[in-house]
Amino acid sequence: MSTAAGRTKHAEAILGPELHTRLSLTKVLVVGAGGIGCELLKTLVLTGFTQITLLDLDTIDLSNLNRQFLFRTKDVKKPKSITAARAASSFNPNVKIDPIFGNIKAEEYDIDWFKGFGVVLNALDNLDARRHVNRMCMAAGVPLVESGTAGYLGQVQPLVKDATECFDCIPKPTPKSFPVCTIRSTPSQPIHCIVWSKSYLMGQLFGRDEDAGETSELDEAENNGENVEEIANLRKEAQSFSRVRAAIRSYSPNSTSTADQNNDPAKLAFQKIFSADIQNLLNMGDMWKHREPPVPLDYDQIISGTFILDKQGSSKAKEERNRINGASSLNGTGNKKTAEKVVMKDQRKLTLKENLMLFNTSVQSLSMRLSTSQVQTIEFDKDDEDTLDFVTAASNLRSAAYGIEGKSKWEVKEMAGNIIPAIATTNAIIAGLIVLQALNLLRASPSARPSPSEPVNATTATPSSSSTVASSASADYSLLRNVHIQLKPSVPLSSVTCSSPNPNCGVCRDVYTLVRCDRTQTTLRDVVQGVLGWTSGQSQNREGAIENGQSQNGNRNENENGSNDDDDEVNDGSERKEISVYEDKRILVDPDWDDNLDRTLDSLNVGRGKFISIVDEEGDWETVQVVIGELPASHPSTASPYILPCPLPKLVKRKKIKPLVPSVPSTPPPRLSLKRSLPTDADDGDVMIIDGHNGNGRTRDGDGEGQRALKKPRLGAYDSQRDAKTTTPTMDVTSPSKRKRLEEDGLVLMDGPGEVDEFEEDVIVIDDD
Amino acid sequence: MDPAEFTEEEQGRYDRQIRLWGIEAQQRMRNATILVVKLKGTATETIKNIVLAGIGKLILVDADDVEEVDLGAGFFFCDDDVGKKRVDAAKARIENLNPLVTVEIIPNFDVLDNQNFESTVNGVDLVCITDWDRDDLIRLNNICRRSRKPFYAGGTYGLLGYIFCDLLDHKYISPDRSSPKDAQKNVQVTASYSPLQDALRHQWSALSKRQTKELRPASVFAILSLWQFQSARNRLPLGTQDIDELQQTADALVSGADVNKQVLTTVPRSLIESVAMTAPHEFSPVCAIVGGLLAQDILKTLAAREPPIANFLTFDGNTGGASVCRLSMP
Repeated sequence: MSTAAGRTKHAEAILGPELHTRLSLTKVLVVGAGGIGCELLKTLVLTGFTQITLLDLDTIDLSNLNRQFLFRTKDVKKPKSITAARAASSFNPNVKIDPIFGNIKAEEYDIDWFKGFGVVLNALDNLDARRHVNRMCMAAGVPLVESGTAGYLGQVQPLVKDATECFDCIPKPTPKSFPVCTIRSTPSQPIHCIVWSKSYLMGQLFGRDEDAGETSELDEAENNGENVEEIANLRKEAQSFSRVRAAIRSYSPNSTSTADQNNDPAKLAFQKIFSADIQNLLNMGDMWKHREPPVPLDYDQIISGTFILDKQGSSKAKEERNRINGASSLNGTGNKKTAEKVVMKDQRKLTLKENLMLFNTSVQSLSMRLSTSQVQTIEFDKDDEDTLDFVTAASNLRSAAYGIEGKSKWEVKEMAGNIIPAIATTNAIIAGLIVLQALNLLRASPSARPSPSEPVNATTATPSSSSTVASSASADYSLLRNVHIQLKPSVPLSSVTCSSPNPNCGVCRDVYTLVRCDRTQTTLRDVVQGVLGWTSGQSQNREGAIENGQSQNGNRNENENGSNDDDDEVNDGSERKEISVYEDKRILVDPDWDDNLDRTLDSLNVGRGKFISIVDEEGDWETVQVVIGELPASHPSTASPYILPCPLPKLVKRKKIKPLVPSVPSTPPPRLSLKRSLPTDADDGDVMIIDGHNGNGRTRDGDGEGQRALKKPRLGAYDSQRDAKTTTPTMDVTSPSKRKRLEEDGLVLMDGPGEVDEFEEDVIVIDDD
Repeated sequence: MDPAEFTEEEQGRYDRQIRLWGIEAQQRMRNATILVVKLKGTATETIKNIVLAGIGKLILVDADDVEEVDLGAGFFFCDDDVGKKRVDAAKARIENLNPLVTVEIIPNFDVLDNQNFESTVNGVDLVCITDWDRDDLIRLNNICRRSRKPFYAGGTYGLLGYIFCDLLDHKYISPDRSSPKDAQKNVQVTASYSPLQDALRHQWSALSKRQTKELRPASVFAILSLWQFQSARNRLPLGTQDIDELQQTADALVSGADVNKQVLTTVPRSLIESVAMTAPHEFSPVCAIVGGLLAQDILKTLAAREPPIANFLTFDGNTGGASVCRLSMP
C-alpha cells in the first residue's frame, strides 16, 4: 500500500538510512499489551519498525483506560493484544502487527519461536513472566530489553547474553509472606486478616471441597498416634465448614420456611467463624498469656445494635472501636467534622453492623452463584465485586474481633488485589526509553542482517540467529544503558552503562543447547550422553554398555565436526564426570540413582520446550541446559528419533567462586543498588501463606512417577548458595578507571564525609537497599 | 458538577492513578483548563497524557495544516488528514481518548498576539507552549507572569529535548520520603521561579566541579546554542554548513555563563554535529519521553503535590539521561 512518503523523513534523518532500513527488516516481539505495551507499540510503529508480534493473555478492564490509550470503553473485556494491534496499525498502514492472545509460557512459544525475532521487548507486569522471557532469550541468544514501572518510577534494561548481565544476575526480592499461625490464629495487622479471608476463608467456603482430603489427613494423623483431642477438635471444625458449605450450595433466596432460614449460609458462616471458632481459640489459654485475646462476635446483638466492643487498649484502639461500634467518629456516616474533603464511596470505613450486612449480602450473592449456575468454585478476584465485598467484610469483622484497625473497601481492594498504582506518563517515558535501547542494540551490530530468504512469518521461522542482533561477533555494546526514572530532582532520568554478567548467575552463565526429538522414542540417556559426547566409548559407562546402539549410530552421522578444542572446554568424550540431571526443580538423575536414564522423555513428562539441566556434581563445568524441541516436519520417520546439536555445546569451565574482597578489581562490577530496585508488580507482591507442613516440598507435578523428592536445591536461578555469594556487596572505587567510569555515569563520588553538605539531599547512596 | 462526587465511571477509569496521587489531586486536575500551543510531536504526547489523566478542559492552538512529515510522530493524524488543519484533524481523536475531557480548538495563531494572549491566558489555569522559538517564549512567558499563570515550554530537537517552566511562587505538598513509610509526613513547600529571560542570564559560577558535572552541561548548552542560533538566523541549523557557527555559539555561551572550566569549556564536537544535522527533525521515542516528563510535571503542578521541575530540564536521547538545572533560581 502506498502511503505518505514523508512519514519516515524525520526518522531517517535521525537514524541515518542504513539503520532506518534495518528497522523494517527486524522482527520485534513485544511481550505484554498493557500500560507499557500500548505506549511501546505506538512508539515502535512511529519509529519505523514494521514487523511486530504482540502477545498478551489479558482482556481489557475499565481501570486500564487511564493509561492504555489504545483502548476505549467499548473495548472492555476484549483481548488486549488484538485490540491494541488494530488501533496501532492505524498509525502507519505499512506496519504488520501480529497479535497473539495467549500466554508467553505456552509450549508453542519455544526456543525456535524466540529465535525468529531480532529483538524481544518486555512490557510485563509480573516477575514470573519476566524471568521466563529472560531465560528464553538467554537460551535463544536473542537480545532483550527489560522494563518495569510502578507509580512515578520505572526502569529499562537491555540484556544480551554474555555481554551484559541478565535479568536473573541480580536476585529479586521474594514476595512477602506470613507464618501460618499469624494468619490462622493470631493476626495483629489488617493485612493478616485480609490474607486470611482472601486465601483461607474464600477457599473454605467457596473453593474446592477440601474436606475429603482433610478428613483423610486427620485419619492418618490419628493412626499415627497424634493428640486425639486436638484432632477431634479439627474434625469438628471441618464438619462445621461442611455444614456451611452445604448451606451455601443449596441456598435459595426466596425460601421462607424456618428450616431454610435456619440454614441461612451467611449466618451459619458468621456464627462458625466469628463466634464458635474464636471461642475455641480462647480455650487455648496459653496462647493468650502474652497477647490480647480476641472477642467472639455476636450476630444477633450486632443486628439489634446492642453489641459493644469494649476492650481495653490505647486511645487509638479505643477510637477505632468507637468507630466500628458505629458511634460518631472519624469518617463515620454523614460525619464531616474532619478535614476529609473529598471521599469516594468505597473509601469510607464501615461500622461493625455495616460490615455484618455486607458479609450477609456478599455471602448470599456468592451462594446464589454456586447454587444456581454451573460454577463449582469461586476464587477471589479484585474486579469481582461480590468477592471483594466478601473479603472486605470478613477481614473487617475478623479485625474487629482482634481489636485491629478496619480497612475501607478501597484499601482492601489494593491490599488483597496487589494493585500497583499506574499512570500514562511513566509508561510513555519508559516505552520511549525501551525503543532508544532497542535502537542501540541494532547499532551495536552493524553487520547483522536478516537473510532475505527468511520466511516472513516468525512462527514458521527455522532456527537461525542470522537476524539476531547479538549474533555479530564484532558487536559493540558500549552504547547500551540502563535507564531509571528516579525521584532525585536534579537527575530525573539516570543513565548508566550496563554491568557485565554475574559470574555466578544461574541463568545466563549456563550453556544452552537444543535437542530435537520424538519424545516417545528418545530416552533421557540419548539426550544426556549425546549432548555430552559420551556416546563413543561404552565401557566407561558406570551402568555398562549403552543399549540403543542404533540411535547412537544415527546421530553420530549428524555429529561430525562436533569436536572442539578451546582451552575453556572440557568435553573430551573420554572424561566422564558425576552428573545430576534435572527438569526444572525435579531431580531425574543423580550419581547414585540413574533409573530414569533409559526411560523416554515422554514417560518422564518432559514436554516440548522443557529444559533438561545437566549439572556437574564437582562443579567444574557450567550447567548445560538442553532444550527439548520438536523434530522438523521433514524428518524421515526411519531416521534416528532425535537430532543432537551440531557442533555439540562447548562445556565451559566454571569460574571458581572466590570470596569477593574489595581489592579484587572488577569482579563483580559495582552495583548501584539504589538504581536497581525492581518495581514491584501486581503478581510479585502476592501474599503467600507458608504452610509449615509442607516445607518447601516441591511435590509431584505431572505424572510424578520415577521422581524423587528434591534433596537439596542445587540448580536454578534461585540457587540459594550462589545467591548468597553474589549478594556480597563490593564497591571498589579505588581504581582510577572505575572511578572515572562511575563519574561518567553521573555518579558523584565523594572523597570524604566533609563533602556531603554541599549536596544536601541529592547524594546517591551506594548499596543502601 | 458536585466537586465531592466522583461518578462510578470516573472511579473506575481513574482508580490506578487516584491510588498514586489521591482523590484531591484528581479533583484539582478535573477542575483545570490547560492551554496548549502548537500540535507537533511533543504536544501530541503531552496532550495524550493529560487528557488520559482527566484534566477538565484542553484548549489547543495551531494554525498549520497536517504535513506528511507530521505523521512520523503525530499519532492523532492519519494519511487522509494531510492538508487539513492540524487541530481539526486531531480534535475527535483527542476527545476519543477520554470522553470526560472537553476539547476546544483555536485554528489560528492570532490568539498569541499580545492583547489576545493576555485575555486567553486569563481564562485558563496553566499554559504550555511546545516546539516554539526562544524569543517568543520569553514574550509569552512574560504575559503569563503578568496574569499570574504557570507557564511551561517544551520541545525536541532530534534526539535532544527540553522543558522549561516558570511556576511563579508555587506552593506544593511534598511527602517527606526520609521518614519511615507508615509514618510519612507531608511538608508544605513554596518555590520561587524565574521567568525565562532571567533564567537565560544564569551564571554557573557558584557550582562546584561535581555539581556542574552532574547536570551534564553539554546538553544544556547544546539547547541554549540552538536557541541562540535560531534567534540570530531566524531558522534552525540545517546541516554540515551550520556546524561551525553552532559550535562557536555554544562555546561563547559556555564561557559567558562561567561554567566550571574543569568540566566544560567547549560543547563536544560530536554533539554539535549531531544537533546541527538533526535539529529540525522530531523522533517519536524522544517526543514520548519529553512529552511524558512534561505532562507529568503539569499534573504535579495542578495537583500541588510533589516538587515540579525547577526549572530547566534537558533530555539527551543518545544516553537516555535527563538532568534539571536551576537557572537563576535560589
